[in-house]
Amino acid sequence: MIELAHFQVLSAGLFAIGLYGVLARKSAVLILMSIELMLNAVSVNLVGFAAFVDFTEPQRALGQVIVIFVIIIAAAELALAAAIILRLYRSRSSVNVDEIDLMRW
Amino acid sequence: MPFGETIGTEWAWVIPALSAAAFFLTVIFGRFLPRQGAYIPVAAIFLGFVLFWYVLRDLLTSGPASFDITWISLGDTRIAWGVNVDRLSVTMLGLVTFVALLVQVYSLGYMKGEPRQGWYFAAHALSAAAMLALVLADNLLFLYIAWALVGLGSYLLIGFWYERREAAEAAKKAFITTRIGDVGLLIGIILLFESTGSFDISTIFHVAQSGGISQGTITVAAVLLFLGAMGKSAQFPFHVWLPDAVEGPAPVSALIHSATMVAAGVFLVARMLPLFELAPGVMLLVAGVGLFTFVFAGTLALVMTDLKRALAYSTISHLGLMMLSLGAFGLGAAIFHLVAHGVSKAMLFLGAGSVTRVTGKTEIWDMGGLRRRMPVTAITFVIGGAALAGIPPLSGFFSRDAIMLAVMDNRGPAFLVVALAAAALSALYMARIVLVVFFGPLKADNEHAHESPLVMTVPLVLLAFTALTVGFIALPWGASYQGFGDFLADEGGFHFEVWLTALTLALALAGVAAGWLTYRTGHISHGQIARRYSGLYRVLVNECYVDDLYQWVVDHVVLAAGNFVALYDRVVINDTGVDGSALTVMLSALRLRHVQTGHLYNYGLAMSLGVVGLVLVWWLVLA
Repeated sequence: MIELAHFQVLSAGLFAIGLYGVLARKSAVLILMSIELMLNAVSVNLVGFAAFVDFTEPQRALGQVIVIFVIIIAAAELALAAAIILRLYRSRSSVNVDEIDLMRW
Repeated sequence: MPFGETIGTEWAWVIPALSAAAFFLTVIFGRFLPRQGAYIPVAAIFLGFVLFWYVLRDLLTSGPASFDITWISLGDTRIAWGVNVDRLSVTMLGLVTFVALLVQVYSLGYMKGEPRQGWYFAAHALSAAAMLALVLADNLLFLYIAWALVGLGSYLLIGFWYERREAAEAAKKAFITTRIGDVGLLIGIILLFESTGSFDISTIFHVAQSGGISQGTITVAAVLLFLGAMGKSAQFPFHVWLPDAVEGPAPVSALIHSATMVAAGVFLVARMLPLFELAPGVMLLVAGVGLFTFVFAGTLALVMTDLKRALAYSTISHLGLMMLSLGAFGLGAAIFHLVAHGVSKAMLFLGAGSVTRVTGKTEIWDMGGLRRRMPVTAITFVIGGAALAGIPPLSGFFSRDAIMLAVMDNRGPAFLVVALAAAALSALYMARIVLVVFFGPLKADNEHAHESPLVMTVPLVLLAFTALTVGFIALPWGASYQGFGDFLADEGGFHFEVWLTALTLALALAGVAAGWLTYRTGHISHGQIARRYSGLYRVLVNECYVDDLYQWVVDHVVLAAGNFVALYDRVVINDTGVDGSALTVMLSALRLRHVQTGHLYNYGLAMSLGVVGLVLVWWLVLA
């Protein structure tokens, strides 16, 4: 029997992996993929909670609806971020974030 | 005249509006017109003078009236542009339009060929418009605006020849000195507004007379209003600007010494007299300041050797006489003297301008015998001098007699004795000026002198005619006109004390006779007198060192205080307050900027730790 806690553990694990990737990876592409992982962790959390609410409530499908929104926005965001990374590579021949420090003091 | 029937007191506002419009028209379009548009202000003031007669006729048939339009509404407080057409304001309308018209006509001749004369006439229009608005104003805020514009107009006119340093300095001095008094006036107006909730003059009187304002407030407000009047009317100790103001063109002096600037102060006290009468102490102050100025300026007028400067001190002296009259409850007498003096003094300054323009001299001892070369100027000058000296039946005789009567009735013998002595003095200095300038032998370098053109002599003759005849408005003409005092202020019919009139007349004649013996026949040597009292003479010639005292105060008190304030500003406000805080921010920023590493993962880590920190706080502390 799958409980709500299982969803939460899976979600937290995915989120932690994503966060680690964002902080530790040097390649902008991998950072982008890690961000997607974090988004998916949130989606798992949402569907998990949605599956366990009372289905007689009028807002029972809200979790699923939001997940669809998240997927759409993630797709748009990915397209945008991929374009930025492509431009970055074109101009600097590298996607290593260590070398990108124009905002430094 | 069917058209004229429709023109009445409600047209009074048009009189200043015409001159105000003339000001803008001359400034904007003057350069395209012949003589730079000088004829526009003359035409405007002429129309104003014509309208004055219609307004006067309607006033006499229908009585006083007032009209206003709302300017600002603040809750229950309503501030209006309003005109108050009563006997006082219409009298002033007549004086101002008449004198301003003749002065402007005279200027057409006097300023002929002057560059920038369009601006000169525009400034004349501005002055006239402001003064006309001032006398019509029915509320203190409107009056104050007009008051300030009168000051501006005089500043522009006195400083018209601003290329000359003396003229520019004199204009500044006139403006600043009168502004000092104006501060008092403004505070007084605010005080009255605060305690009555209205700027409207009649409302203020009503509230004050029904006990709506405390006695202390009335006294303070009256003193402050009088301070403004002292500045504008050149009462001691604010008199210093007026003698310097003769640096302007002569017609300008004629205007500001009679109809505009200095008349404004006397008019203000006259207009607010019901308020002043509620504060007996202030009335005594008005009388005292007036009396002192009357005597003080009279003695200085006796020793001035510059023609226009001597006339200027004579003006100050006569303004003191008007203030004395107001302080002695003699409203009718004061305004009558304002009119009589205004006409005579305008004529004297125009005559002085005529003399100076022809001979190129300003010192009276360089003139002499000019009556042979300039008969019209000389005759009119003698009439003006005699009018101011109080020789009957000229205007000054009637007005001075009325003032002396008021002083005797309401201020007692001490005031009367001093005033009579000063009256003799004013006859003496007038005789001195007239005799030295126009009589005696003609100086060799004045042989070429000649009479001024008609455009200048006609205003002189008209003013002389008025000075000769205007005195008769003091007399009762019938049942409906019981003399000027009754017309203006319901003071009862014309009357006089035979012994007082005889004494005044005898003193005036004695003054003239002393002048004749001194400056005509030489029986009395003024040089010997000056030598015997050389200390006193030196003090008088130096104008009692009032200017030097003010200069000392400015140098040692005002500038010293200013230096201290400047130091405080530099050290505390600027170096510590402004530069100090900027320096602190910069130094902290130099240390804190190392936080900005530019590395993405540093920012990400900080953000994550921040979120964890917030959750911990929420969980441990708030939940």
